[in-house]
Amino acid sequence: MTALEAYKLRKTYRQGGKLVEAVRELSLKIEPGEVLAFLGANGAGKTTTIKMIAGLIRPDTGWVKIAGCDPHRNSKALQMLGAVLEGNRNLYWRLTPEENLEYFGVLRGMNRKAAHRRGLALLDRFELLHKRHTPVQALSRGMQQKLAIAVALIHQPRLLLLDEPTLGLDVEASQNVKALVREIAQEGCAILLTTHQLNIAEEISDRVAIVQNGEIIALEPTARIVKQFSDCGYIIEFLGELDDVRTRKIEAIGAVVESQKMIYAGTPEGLYQILNVLSPLPLVQVKQDRADLTKIFLKLIGESRAATVTHGN
Amino acid sequence: MLQLLLTEIKRTWTEFIRYPIEAIAGLVITTFIFYGLFLSARFVAGSQLHLGDRLSTIVVGYVLWTLVLFIVNDIAAALQMEAQTGTLEQIFLSPFGAPKIFLVRTIANLGLRLALILGVLIIIMLFTRTHLYFSLTLLLPLSTLLLGAYGMSFMMGALALVFKRVEQLLGFFRFGLLFLLAVPIATWIAPLRGLGILLPMATGAEELRNLMVRNQSLSLTHFMLALLNGIGYFALGLFVFKWAERQAKRQGILSGY
Repeated sequence: MTALEAYKLRKTYRQGGKLVEAVRELSLKIEPGEVLAFLGANGAGKTTTIKMIAGLIRPDTGWVKIAGCDPHRNSKALQMLGAVLEGNRNLYWRLTPEENLEYFGVLRGMNRKAAHRRGLALLDRFELLHKRHTPVQALSRGMQQKLAIAVALIHQPRLLLLDEPTLGLDVEASQNVKALVREIAQEGCAILLTTHQLNIAEEISDRVAIVQNGEIIALEPTARIVKQFSDCGYIIEFLGELDDVRTRKIEAIGAVVESQKMIYAGTPEGLYQILNVLSPLPLVQVKQDRADLTKIFLKLIGESRAATVTHGN
Repeated sequence: MLQLLLTEIKRTWTEFIRYPIEAIAGLVITTFIFYGLFLSARFVAGSQLHLGDRLSTIVVGYVLWTLVLFIVNDIAAALQMEAQTGTLEQIFLSPFGAPKIFLVRTIANLGLRLALILGVLIIIMLFTRTHLYFSLTLLLPLSTLLLGAYGMSFMMGALALVFKRVEQLLGFFRFGLLFLLAVPIATWIAPLRGLGILLPMATGAEELRNLMVRNQSLSLTHFMLALLNGIGYFALGLFVFKWAERQAKRQGILSGY
């Protein structure tokens, strides 16, 4: 069963006497085990959408189904949902990790013994068992974040919502959280995450949805969108001077030669011919000219803005 | 529901004792307040006069007043605190529903507070060799008073959900509460008396006064009226809170404070 279906969600707010459309006709689906990165600039409508999915904001029109249940009508849907909405602030700071897990387990409808057992298993898995008796406020930010995710998973939800899960974490803690997100997805939990760290989204997401002005402007598998925006070319950097004969030979194969660098948009066979011509000059690097999600995001957002301006004129 | 109550009691207790200095300071302050109350009552009564029942009335009256005040403010205060610490939305993500969780939480808080006050009172009674007397019959009108207080607490919580900053309003409401608990509706004449019966908690407080101060026996009619009043305000409080929750979700302002 599809873990999440959101259909034509729409939300309008009144701000300073004006109607502002925060989310417009937004639809998306996530299958079990899939990670969808929800990307957008500040104020694009990401948080409003996530909160509509969680049942915390009521949409004006449209509906949400979590494993077939509407969280706005049926409280059972909430048993299939876990959410980390405000970073590490989803925890009681005076309680220990063990106490937080047991408390939130019961709050999600588990019995105390089961919540306690599952809590210990999660602490072990998240490498927090040695901190089980330490009050949350004495934990590092990375540990708090891991604990917040563990708390959201205590009742084994089918859908996990993560709002900026790596915000403010150091490199090591970010790596830990990324690995956990992938692991959780591999176990069948669907994950919807928002982040401004596009490299992280690129690494861990199966699909990306780029949202602007409350609308999805791109919804594609991550690999496909990256490939789509990548030029089919290679960049070759080398050391030393290239004489005229070799330059002409390389240009004849189809590369554009610059100082100590060339760009070639051709076949792999052609690439090897170029490398043969370059031999024995030392190579610095040979790399495929691959777009990253940051470039794609900026390009799509820019195009969408330009289209809006043109349309407005 | 029982699991939820036990877990809330555990959470409340754990948070209370996590920082022992804070807990001990709270206990010392409570002890001083009650010891001061004992000494003042003795001073006012004088050494020749028999203190007994009058002291009981003062102490029990003060305990009830602080508990009712505590209940009425508790949900609104909890909502504001949870929003600041970032756990409020997690409560609204529970399949139990926020009203049930806040009710259970307030009961757990009340239980802890009551246990502490009783503990302090017993210690003071042992030290001062004084005895407090109160009849178990008091529990009946008290229950109607508590129902009304919980109803008012939900209404205050509803205001906090929709209007967010309500500290000034809560402060103002304390004066209103003083009026509601002290208003002598029994002396009012029709049609004001009919109106008095509709005031929150006033009927229950009047019946408590009849039992504690005027040494009257429990009037079944008055008790039934007070019970209906308590149930009515409790139901109204829940209704208003649920309405406010829907409004907050519609306006997208559930967590913002």
